[in-house]
Amino acid sequence: MSKKLLLITGVIFLSSCATTNIQELGDKFLDLINPSDSPAEVADLSEQVLVLSAESGGFTEEELETLSNDELIELAIEKGLGDILVLDADGNLQNRDEVIKALVESDESGGFTEEELEVLSNDELIEIAKEKGLEGILLLDSDGNLQNRDQVIKTLVESESLMESATQELKSLSDDALIEIAQTKGMEDEIILDDDGNLQNRDELIKALVEGAAETKAAVLVLESSGIPSTLYFAYDDTEIDEAATRVIIEHANFMQNNRSVRLRLEGHADERGTREYNLALGENRSLSVKEVLGLYNLEDRVVVVSYGEEQPVAIEHNEEAWEKNRRVEFVYY
Amino acid sequence: MKYLKALILSSALLSFSANALLEVNIIKSKEELFPVVIAPFEVIGDAQQGAEIANIIRDNLNRSGQFNALSTNELVTNQIDFNFWQEHKKDAVIFGKIEQVSSKVFNVYIYIYDVFSEKSLYAKKIAVHNSGIRRIAHYLSDRIYYVLLGQKGSFDTRLSYVAVSENKKGNRTYRLQISDSDGYNPQTVVKSSHPILSPVWSPDQNKLAYVSFKNNRSEVFVIYPFLKIKSIKLPKFDGIASSPSWHPDGENIALTISKKGNKDIYLYNLKTKELKRLTTNTAIDTEANFSPDGKSIAFTSNRTGQVQIYIKNLKTGKISRATFKGTYNAKPVFSPDGKELALIHRVGKDYRLALLNIATRDLTIMTQNKSDESPYFSPNGGMIIFATNRDNKGILSIISLHNNQIVELTQKDGVIREPSWSNYSN
Repeated sequence: MSKKLLLITGVIFLSSCATTNIQELGDKFLDLINPSDSPAEVADLSEQVLVLSAESGGFTEEELETLSNDELIELAIEKGLGDILVLDADGNLQNRDEVIKALVESDESGGFTEEELEVLSNDELIEIAKEKGLEGILLLDSDGNLQNRDQVIKTLVESESLMESATQELKSLSDDALIEIAQTKGMEDEIILDDDGNLQNRDELIKALVEGAAETKAAVLVLESSGIPSTLYFAYDDTEIDEAATRVIIEHANFMQNNRSVRLRLEGHADERGTREYNLALGENRSLSVKEVLGLYNLEDRVVVVSYGEEQPVAIEHNEEAWEKNRRVEFVYY
Repeated sequence: MKYLKALILSSALLSFSANALLEVNIIKSKEELFPVVIAPFEVIGDAQQGAEIANIIRDNLNRSGQFNALSTNELVTNQIDFNFWQEHKKDAVIFGKIEQVSSKVFNVYIYIYDVFSEKSLYAKKIAVHNSGIRRIAHYLSDRIYYVLLGQKGSFDTRLSYVAVSENKKGNRTYRLQISDSDGYNPQTVVKSSHPILSPVWSPDQNKLAYVSFKNNRSEVFVIYPFLKIKSIKLPKFDGIASSPSWHPDGENIALTISKKGNKDIYLYNLKTKELKRLTTNTAIDTEANFSPDGKSIAFTSNRTGQVQIYIKNLKTGKISRATFKGTYNAKPVFSPDGKELALIHRVGKDYRLALLNIATRDLTIMTQNKSDESPYFSPNGGMIIFATNRDNKGILSIISLHNNQIVELTQKDGVIREPSWSNYSN
C-alpha cells in the first residue's frame, strides 16, 4: 500500500514542474482529494440536460390524436415512415392508430440518421451534442468553430443506436431480470414492488435504466474522446501497477468522481501461458490491484471486479506480442 | 504365409478416423508391446453390425500403449495352429463369434488362448442389445486387458472436454462434451456463448461439475448429463467460484472461492450445504485435487512468490510443499494409487506435462510440447489425458505411461481442451 501512495506522490511532484498535460492531471488529482463543489455542479447540469432533451422531443399520443388523417400522412412521410401507411383506393388512411403509435415510438427513440445530421449546420450539431450531454467530444477553435464535424456526427449516430438497442433488450427481459439489473446499478429506489414482490412500474424502470445508460454512455464517450486508455497492461505472472498505469487509474477515478451515476467493472485477463484456473485467479488479482488504487478515492462501492483468465484473448496468436496484449485489465463502465 | 501378409497389412493401419467429430491418431508405439492377434469375429445370421466388435477391441488395445494387436484375413476357429503363432511371436490369440438371436439381440462369444501353454485363458458368452455394441466391445477390452496383463483396463469409461468453435463474425461457442473413452459418441451436454472450463466427473460418474461464465462471472455448476433431472444448484458464494474437485465420497466438492479477493480452497458439502475453509493463505490457492483416499488435497499456490504445488493433510492440517524443481508447477492431479502427481511444469518458455513421485520428489518431464494443460489420469493409472497445441490448434493428447506412446484426439472444426476421465462404470 505504501508503495502505491509513493507513486501517487510522484505524480503530484511531476505535475508541479512538467508540461501542461501533467499540470492538468495534477489539478484533477487535487480536485479528487477534495471532492467538494465542482462535481456537484456537473451533476446539476446533467439533470438540466435531461429535462431539455425530454422537452425537445416531438409528439405525444394526445397531440397526434388531434391531427387529421391527412396531417398524419404528411407527418409520417416526413419522418420516413411512409412504408407503414395503409391507404384505400381513394387515398384515405386505413390504419390511423398504428400510424400514431409508430410516430410516438419514432419520437421516443429520438434517433438521428447520419443523413439527417449531415444536412445540419455546425452550430446545430453543437447544439444537439450539448443536448445529449456530449459537449465533451466537441473540438472547437478559439472562435467557437467546430473542428471535428465528422467525429461528432459519428458519435451522435452511435449513441442513438445504442440507446435503441438498449431499450429493445430491456423490453425483452423478465421483471426479475430487470430488478436484478436495477439493483446492480444502485437504482433500488426506482423499483416499486407490491406486497407479493411483483414489479409495479416496469415501463418506468426500463425508461430509468435507459436514461441511466444514456448518461453513462455519453460520459464514457467523452472520456474515450479525451484519449484516456481504457485498458491497462501487465507483465508476465504479475499484478503490479506501475507509475504510468497509476496515472491512468487516477484519470478514471477523476472521471468517476465527476460522473456520480457511473459504475465500473474491471475485467481482468491473462495470457494463455500456464494453467487455466491459475490464470483465472491471476486475472482477478490484476483487477483487484486496479481496484485497490481506486479504493484510495473511496470508489470501492461502485467498482466490481471480474476475471476471465485466459478465456477471452484479444490476440489469438501464440507469441510474445499477442501475450502482451492479452495480459490486461479492461475498464468497462455501465 | 497368407497370415503373415495380413499381419503386415493391418499394422500399417494404426491411424484411423472416429466418427465425424473426433479424429484419432496414434503417433508413436513399438516399444515393449504385448503381441496379440484378434481375428475378425465370425458372423452367424443377420448380425453384421456386431462384426465391428473385434475392430473396436483391437483399436482399444493398440491405443493403450500396452499391446500390438493385429488382425488376420481369415477366421480363427477352435482348431488353433499354435505352432504358427509361436513362430510369428504372438503371445495370445483372441477370436469370437456373433450370433443373431432376434432382430435386436445378439449373442457374443469370445475366446482368449495363450499361445505358449496352448491353454484357454478366458471364454465367455454375452447377450447384447443392438444399441450396446460399442459398450460391450469396451467391456470385453477391459476383460482382455485384465486376463493378459493382470491389471484393470480403462476402456469402458467416458471422457469429458470442452470444445470451442468460432463463427465468421468471431463469436465463440463453448460446448461441454462427453464421449466414450475412444472419442466416439461425442455428445453436447452444455452449449453456451460464455466460456466453460474445468469439467470433472463425479466419482459415481453420473454428474459433472464445471465452471461457467454464463452470469458474467465464474461460478461452479453440477449437472446430470444422462438424466433429465434438475442440476444441483450451488449457492451464490460471496466471491467468484472455480476449480471444482470431487471428494471420493461424491458428497463433497473442493472449490476455489475468492472472498474479498483472497482466493482460497473451500470444501462444500452437497447434502448439508456446509462450507468449510481448507486454506487461509493470502496468496492465490487454487486447482485443488483430492487424493484417492480423500485424506489430503494437492493444490497450486503462489505463496512463496513462485507458482508451486503443495499438499495439505486434511487430518493433521499440515501443508507441505511438493514441488522443488523449476519456478512454475501447477494443476496437480493424483494418480489412482496416490503415489504420483501429474502436473504442468515450466521448462524455459514451455509448459509441459510432468510426473512427480511424491515420496522421492523425482520429477519426470513427459513431453516436448510448448503448452500442455489440464492433465487427468485414466482410472487404471495407465494413461494421462491432457490438452496441448498441435499446429496452433487445441487438441487432446493421451500418453501411455507404459511406453510414452501418444494418441491424439482432434476435432476438425475448432479446438478441444479441458479433458477429464470418468471412473469405471458400475
